[in-house]
Amino acid sequence: MANSALKATGISKYFHDPVDMPVLKNISLEVAAGEFVSIVGKSGSGKSTLLYVLSTMDTDYEGSLEINGEVATGKKLNELARIRNLSIGFVFQFHYLLPDFTCLKNVMIPALRLGKWSYKEVEERAYAKMKLFGVEDQALKKANKLSGGQQQRVAIARALINDPAIIMGDEPTGNLDSKNTGIVFDLFQQLSKEFKQTLITVTHDEDFAKRSDRVIEMADGEIRSHGN
Amino acid sequence: MKISVNTEIALTYLSSRKKQTLIAALGVMFGVSMFIFMQSLMKGTNDYFEKMSFTNTPHIRMYSENKVADAHMLTGFLKDSSVKLLVNPKQLIQRQGIINPYGVIDQVRRNPEVAYITPQVTANVIYTSGNVQLNGTVAGVNITEEDKMFDVKGNMVEGNLEDLNRVNNSVLIGKGLADKLSLRLGDNITVGSGTGKPMVMRIVGIYSSGVKQVDETKSYANIIQAQNLMGKDRSYVTDIKVNLKNYHQAATVARDFETLTGLKAEDWEQANSTLKTAFKIRAMILNSVVGVILLVAGFGIYNILNMTIYEKIKEIAILKAEGFSGKSVTSIFLQQAVYIGLMGGIIGLCFGMLISYGFSKVYIGGSAPTGGTLNYIPMSFYVPHYIEAILFGILTTIAAGYFPARKASRVDPVTIIRG
Repeated sequence: MANSALKATGISKYFHDPVDMPVLKNISLEVAAGEFVSIVGKSGSGKSTLLYVLSTMDTDYEGSLEINGEVATGKKLNELARIRNLSIGFVFQFHYLLPDFTCLKNVMIPALRLGKWSYKEVEERAYAKMKLFGVEDQALKKANKLSGGQQQRVAIARALINDPAIIMGDEPTGNLDSKNTGIVFDLFQQLSKEFKQTLITVTHDEDFAKRSDRVIEMADGEIRSHGN
Repeated sequence: MKISVNTEIALTYLSSRKKQTLIAALGVMFGVSMFIFMQSLMKGTNDYFEKMSFTNTPHIRMYSENKVADAHMLTGFLKDSSVKLLVNPKQLIQRQGIINPYGVIDQVRRNPEVAYITPQVTANVIYTSGNVQLNGTVAGVNITEEDKMFDVKGNMVEGNLEDLNRVNNSVLIGKGLADKLSLRLGDNITVGSGTGKPMVMRIVGIYSSGVKQVDETKSYANIIQAQNLMGKDRSYVTDIKVNLKNYHQAATVARDFETLTGLKAEDWEQANSTLKTAFKIRAMILNSVVGVILLVAGFGIYNILNMTIYEKIKEIAILKAEGFSGKSVTSIFLQQAVYIGLMGGIIGLCFGMLISYGFSKVYIGGSAPTGGTLNYIPMSFYVPHYIEAILFGILTTIAAGYFPARKASRVDPVTIIRG
């Protein structure tokens, strides 16, 4: 694939505590740009662990990882932080918004860190992203004043602010009701179809997984099915 | 104004925890203001005592020291190759007073550091009035020059300074002596030195220097009268007193004079060595007190930042996930420390100045029987102290903030987010 967004080759990882135990066994995986991929599997299958390795946050692994054609393996932590800032957006099961800031600021912070746009532009972008999820009227409230569904939508807006090539989700709809799950899913699909953004989500939600482009099944630290 | 996102986050954290920020800043404030207060008090006091000591000590006093015979005098006779042993050395018989004093004065005056120079004849005397006798010294001086150097006029209680030049056999006595001998202006006093004939002198003035010991013993006379009193000729001078343009140079200039003239040159620091030791000890005590205060303030900041980090560990993890590097996280937390330090420092500056000002208005003198000239607590308002204080304050906070900030920068986002 010429336009691969993410390519992992021979990823292995061990947990060392209490005894050395393999959690990922020689995993190779390629995700094309604009693809919407779900990773499913039972608890303990290593799917979340794999996601954190792919996210560049976890650097304790063997094998090699390329993000947007750039080798991430072996890079310094500060460089990895820059790669994440530029090319990866995160959505977690819990929103992890910073409670001391307004929703708008929460969305703006990654873009301010990136420093590509002026403050004014960042503000406009943040409003636009929040509008996509229908939370623009909450913009000036403190993050902890919102309902769970709204918080998660703000968190997703935050993940999108830098127009990352890859959006990663760790159970992004795990805390949402079916209505909110529907909204989030439709948006994810729109991102992948219209904006050609790559989505990689780890999920328990079978409906959610089924409706994505590809489902990767994991068990015991290995990929059982690439779902092609 | 464009502020970086790190700064913005740091400021938001600070402002969302106003109480704790304020308490941390208060710690710094106390440190800084105490620093200023103590330094001001110390410098004020030291300056005062220095000034006091200059009311009767010149910057440099030159005199001829009694020499003890040493073996090197034998060298010319026995040559270098021999070993010389001197058993029971005695003081050399030499002319008393300075040899060729006015030549020495001319020579010394050429040094550009010299502001005033004046000869003096010091005579140890016994004052007699009625049947009471007291020991003391008569300083034979040129009173006009003496006044320029030591402001004798400012200490005058009664009488006129210049009468010393006009009235024959006149003397200026201290208030303590006048009280002890029950003498008043215009009375006569018998003054006798060991060598000359006792003289009856007329009191033309009474001074009070504020130093009891001086006021009870020292009196001023014209230099010629002092020479007469000692039964000496007009070239008899015991001391040469020098004031410099900058008295901090005294020690080095004194050494120059010693090599130049062969006389002993004693600078004011040697003459007041106990004063200097007291300065040092005072500085040590005050600095350690200030050090402890700043240390405690530092621990306060350390503690508060540490707590913030525990509380915000998830937020730090998420910031790192969003692409904040370790450096950025360090900067966020170090900046918080610096802002606390700046805030406390600036308030501390104002507060320190305020208490210094307040103390400088506290009246402590007045009815003191010694008639001391210290009426208010001496405080100096010396700009470098303020700069030092704020620098110390900020340095403390940076040191205190560094370790928590480094800890924050090392947060591993994976372990925190995955729980």
